[in-house]
Amino acid sequence: MSAFNDIGPPRWPLNILRFFIKKEYLEEIEGDIEEQFYYNIERWPVKKAKRIYAVEVIKLLRPVLLKKLGHSITLPSYPMYRNYFKTSFRGLMRNPLTAFINVFGLSVAIGICLIVYAFMLYDRSIDQFHVNKHEIYLTTFTADREGETQQYGRAPRPLGERLRQDFAQIKNVCRVEEGKVVIKNEDNVFHEQIRYVDPSFLDMFTFPLKWGAPKSLSDLNSIVLSEDMSIKYFGNDNPLGRDILVIFNDTTKKTFKVSGVAATFPKSRDIEFDFLVHFDNTKVADRTYDTDDWSAFLPATFIQVENSVGLQAIEHHLAPYKKLQNEALPDRPLVAFSFEPLTTLHEKASTLHDAIVHDYNVEGRIGMPIIAVFMIVLACFNYINIAIVSASKRLKEIGVRKVIGANRRKVIMQFLSENVVVTSFAAGIGIVLCYFVFLPWFVQFSGWELELPLLHGNLWLFLIALLLFTALVSGLYPALYVSHFEPVKIFRGSLQFGKRNPFTRVFLCVQLILACMTITAGVVFTQNNHFQNNRSWGYDQKHLVYANVPDAPAFDRLHAAMKQQPGILQSAGSADHLGKKISPVLLRQPSHQQYEAGRLAVDANYFETMGLRLIAGRGFQEDSENDRRAFVVNESLVRTLKLKQPLGQQFELNGTPYEIIGIVQDFHSQNFFNEIRPTVFTLAAPGDYRYLSLRVESGAEERAYQALQQQWAKLYPEIPFQGGHQVDTWGTYFHQVNRSETFNKVIATIAVLLASLGLYGLVTLNVSGRIKEFSIRKMLGAGIRSIAAVMLRQYTSLVAVSLLLGAPLSYLFAQAYLDMLFAYPMPLDYTGTAIALIILATIVLSVIATQIRRIVKLRSVEGLKME
Amino acid sequence: MKKTKLGEFEELVLLTIAALREDAYGLKIKQELEERLREDLSMGSIQSALKRLEEKGFLTSEFGEATQKRGGKRKRIYEITPYAHRTLAELKAIRADLWKSIPKLASSLKTI
Repeated sequence: MSAFNDIGPPRWPLNILRFFIKKEYLEEIEGDIEEQFYYNIERWPVKKAKRIYAVEVIKLLRPVLLKKLGHSITLPSYPMYRNYFKTSFRGLMRNPLTAFINVFGLSVAIGICLIVYAFMLYDRSIDQFHVNKHEIYLTTFTADREGETQQYGRAPRPLGERLRQDFAQIKNVCRVEEGKVVIKNEDNVFHEQIRYVDPSFLDMFTFPLKWGAPKSLSDLNSIVLSEDMSIKYFGNDNPLGRDILVIFNDTTKKTFKVSGVAATFPKSRDIEFDFLVHFDNTKVADRTYDTDDWSAFLPATFIQVENSVGLQAIEHHLAPYKKLQNEALPDRPLVAFSFEPLTTLHEKASTLHDAIVHDYNVEGRIGMPIIAVFMIVLACFNYINIAIVSASKRLKEIGVRKVIGANRRKVIMQFLSENVVVTSFAAGIGIVLCYFVFLPWFVQFSGWELELPLLHGNLWLFLIALLLFTALVSGLYPALYVSHFEPVKIFRGSLQFGKRNPFTRVFLCVQLILACMTITAGVVFTQNNHFQNNRSWGYDQKHLVYANVPDAPAFDRLHAAMKQQPGILQSAGSADHLGKKISPVLLRQPSHQQYEAGRLAVDANYFETMGLRLIAGRGFQEDSENDRRAFVVNESLVRTLKLKQPLGQQFELNGTPYEIIGIVQDFHSQNFFNEIRPTVFTLAAPGDYRYLSLRVESGAEERAYQALQQQWAKLYPEIPFQGGHQVDTWGTYFHQVNRSETFNKVIATIAVLLASLGLYGLVTLNVSGRIKEFSIRKMLGAGIRSIAAVMLRQYTSLVAVSLLLGAPLSYLFAQAYLDMLFAYPMPLDYTGTAIALIILATIVLSVIATQIRRIVKLRSVEGLKME
Repeated sequence: MKKTKLGEFEELVLLTIAALREDAYGLKIKQELEERLREDLSMGSIQSALKRLEEKGFLTSEFGEATQKRGGKRKRIYEITPYAHRTLAELKAIRADLWKSIPKLASSLKTI
């Protein structure tokens, strides 16, 4: 027998048993299974006996034997709830300020969560409205470029047609080509993007037509307009059957008949169009357009396959096309063709190069949920702190409830149910706030066309989940804390309420850290914005205007006309232009190493006109035949190619040898979101000039710009003017940067507001608990200084710890945030964090100051009388 | 019989208890039944049957002695009530009656 003493049954099943089984059955059952265990030990290994024991316990969990949970936690009856709400409502009304803080904080947080929900909903549903989305795939290829395998969204021109012929399982193929044209209808003449597509486009994609028939697209002379374009050219009239003139270039025009107008596009779309014409019009636009040219690419080729099994079969037979393609372009071999399903195309957009889809939401997808969690956590901590304060004023009520028979569970239930009501109320206000304030503001400010579909079932699920989460997280701790007091202690008044509660301190600490992080983000973004605005573009973008012309004669005529204008200092012609157009080229070193680079073909005056700075070598000379075989490169190219002796270095471009004669300082052709790429300048043949750049006297920019427009209108009344100020070439970049700044400032302000409200609650709690002490101090002659010292002492360590933890965290957070968004972020120094700390410390001090003031103003007698 | 329903398993448990007399406690009942039925039973099924039967008034119980093997916990000894005894007897009578009629039925079936 003694051998059994050290081999006992396992503990954990016993605990389960004790928790679930009715008390009156416990002794018997425990005894039975224990006896069985010892009986089994004699027959089987201990392990097996233990396993049997555990299995028996699990099998004992039967309804007859279980504690009746519903019975032992008797839910308070309806009148009791009415009483709860009455008392809690009175309690709230007695302190309208704290009630407001509670409800307001939660509403704001819930409102922000809803915005994030709307955003995620929008982001998830992009391009998901196409009925055939599960059958449509984009043809892509992978290739090794600069040592990395990258995926491209383009496809060789003949591939689509070949796939259609060779595979029976392909239901539809749609090739998409893009072109810039001028479109004219009576007096409306504009530059537009047009898409040449196979007629299957409207069958594959779900773009219903408002007017007209999708079949009409198979007519070579038909054109289908988007709703926006229909309004732009024809107003609200039905334009079906009307003629519209498409000017492909100076010599080629074609009249199309409007045969369809698309209905309003769904808001969450990525793939869309302005104008659609039959693919074969590419031959009209460009007589030399060769659809069998494997070395040329189409922006997109879509296929429609009924099931994915068919697709795999196709993917296994793509090798011949790869061979054809690589024979046509031996310099840039591709690794493989593959297909990307439309359903996940938008998600992958950021990793697909040159694809028809674009991803502008990466920033939001990461940032928004973080912000939502931040806010809800802040609001919950607030609520917790303030709930404890308010409960301190209801201790007597809790005492009375307990004396007349409420147990701890009932008190917890009371507080939780109150909390659910308050949270629901906050959620109601949150929805209203979100719908009427946040959402319109956010849509206007971000440009994302979000909507909050109130009838969407998932929204309500989300809301209920959010509500329960918030109610539990914010209410559980106060409920547990408040309910644990014993009535005797409450009535004896021997409670030191809230004075030494480690949890409230931790909550406050976390709150301060979160606030510190958001303030830092706000400050750093403001600093970064300033930095970005003043960052050098690498050339002098001010006092510059430019014009884009369709051909060389137009350039000559405009150039000649502008020479007469006063105030023009310098002028240059070029085939490409900074900020507008850089052509991709492939450079080959004598060692046969290849590099991708950008090329700008310019004239000899270009560097000086644009203010590009030569740091080594020389620029071009117009009359030198040798310079037609010369490169001027940027620093980035020298760095990327690790050239030790860049000047005189030989390269091959399209089979022609070139030599580097000069190096210019790095410049930003594109905005600061993009990294500077290796770039070469070549001397353009005069016949290739398409851009006219003019450096003007300071202050004369607007006059020069208007002169350009007038001269152009005089020379070519048919063709709309294209050009502008060089400073505007980055489009909405600065607007976007300002937008992030505003957004971060708003978020920081809300966070600070919430945090300081929470702080206010906690300080008030502490002071309320010590009001007698302070009164006695005052009676004994303590002045404002000593009272302030006593109060500050309590918070110094707490605030110091929060700020010490908060500062490095904020710094890292801001760093990560900036790096994620900007290719050239501001070099982060400590000023941003320091300013945030100062702001936060000021807020903390002023909150404490309000309470010091309260004590100073308090009449000591009143304080002593207070219970 | 009227309203009271007695399941087959419950009937077996009742009979076992009657047979075991003073030794009728949870584990013993289980082992006895396992032996007779030649199948493994779980403590849960026995216990729930016992509690149900007690609720229906077929059983009474009281605590018995504790042993070291049981970790000092007392046994609960079950005893069938007179009501249960009557019900069992009734059931047996009904069954016996039915059995008696079987040979006739069987032979009449054969003649068809």
